Amino acid sequence: MRYLLPLALVLALAGCSSVNETGTMTLSGDESQQIIESNSSWGAKLHISDMKAGQAGNLLKAQARIKNTSKKIVNFNYKFKWLDKNDFEVAVDSRPWTPMSITGYEAKTVQAVAPNPSVTSYKILVQN
Amino acid sequence: MKLIRTIILISTLALLPACGGPAIQYGDATGVETTSMGFGSTDLQTIAAKLVDDLLSFPPITQETMTRRPVVFVDTIKNKTTEHIDTESITDTIQTKLIQSGKFRFIDMTAVKAMQAQFDFQSDSGMVDPMKAVAFGKQIGAEYMLYGNMSSIVKRDKKNQDIYYKFSLKLINMQSGILEWMGEKEIRKVGKKGFIAM
Repeated sequence: MRYLLPLALVLALAGCSSVNETGTMTLSGDESQQIIESNSSWGAKLHISDMKAGQAGNLLKAQARIKNTSKKIVNFNYKFKWLDKNDFEVAVDSRPWTPMSITGYEAKTVQAVAPNPSVTSYKILVQN
Repeated sequence: MKLIRTIILISTLALLPACGGPAIQYGDATGVETTSMGFGSTDLQTIAAKLVDDLLSFPPITQETMTRRPVVFVDTIKNKTTEHIDTESITDTIQTKLIQSGKFRFIDMTAVKAMQAQFDFQSDSGMVDPMKAVAFGKQIGAEYMLYGNMSSIVKRDKKNQDIYYKFSLKLINMQSGILEWMGEKEIRKVGKKGFIAM
């Protein structure tokens, strides 16, 4: 009975996957703003940092760094979302959740290119 | 105290099916699919996304597509794996993304027969005003061809199985025969043998 309750709680929470961390990069002229939100209530293992935006022709090129702050290997999924200058999402669901594996204390860089030239901002979502 | 613990336990267990929902439900088409070790929707989507990103950000292609939209023809992707994989579905997704980027135009060879039948109808049936019929010999030829290969390496022991997929895509200039771009996407999947269903 002593162990059953915490075990049931862990099982219940593990059953529902949710977005743990979201990074938003908004570009306006030469200015850029980065907002990183963590939704994890208990000790997040993955952290988004160093969000960057560049150009591939007239398409926005996005890059973010994801760091594993734990000593264990972490399997996670990430996804990019694209926004136009009016904050409308562009090409909804055009990017899949991409699985990735990261070893303890390692940082990995993920990149993506916007689906068309109307994109001015992007979001990266991390789920584990 | 025991009663409270039992109530908490029952309500927590009740949460479990609530997360899963009813027996049949719609899922996220872009979600990660790990039903079996075989080639799946996540593999298809990640291959298409990676190769389109690579092609659109390759500097000579970026320069070429800044002022005009080159015409491309998609050849088949050779499936060299031991699985049945619909490689046309992968190239369809790649083609969709490239068209929607506004950077390329495509010749659809699967529509040639239907277009021929429509041309014949317009010219021979006598039902279409000759002044408004589509003129022959005005179509634009493809400047580039997209083609590639898909291969896999499968390794297994008593407990585990490891599948490695490699998808290569090439863009060749039809006029010069020069390979202008090539991209690759590798995928590794590792699983316990018990739950493998290929």
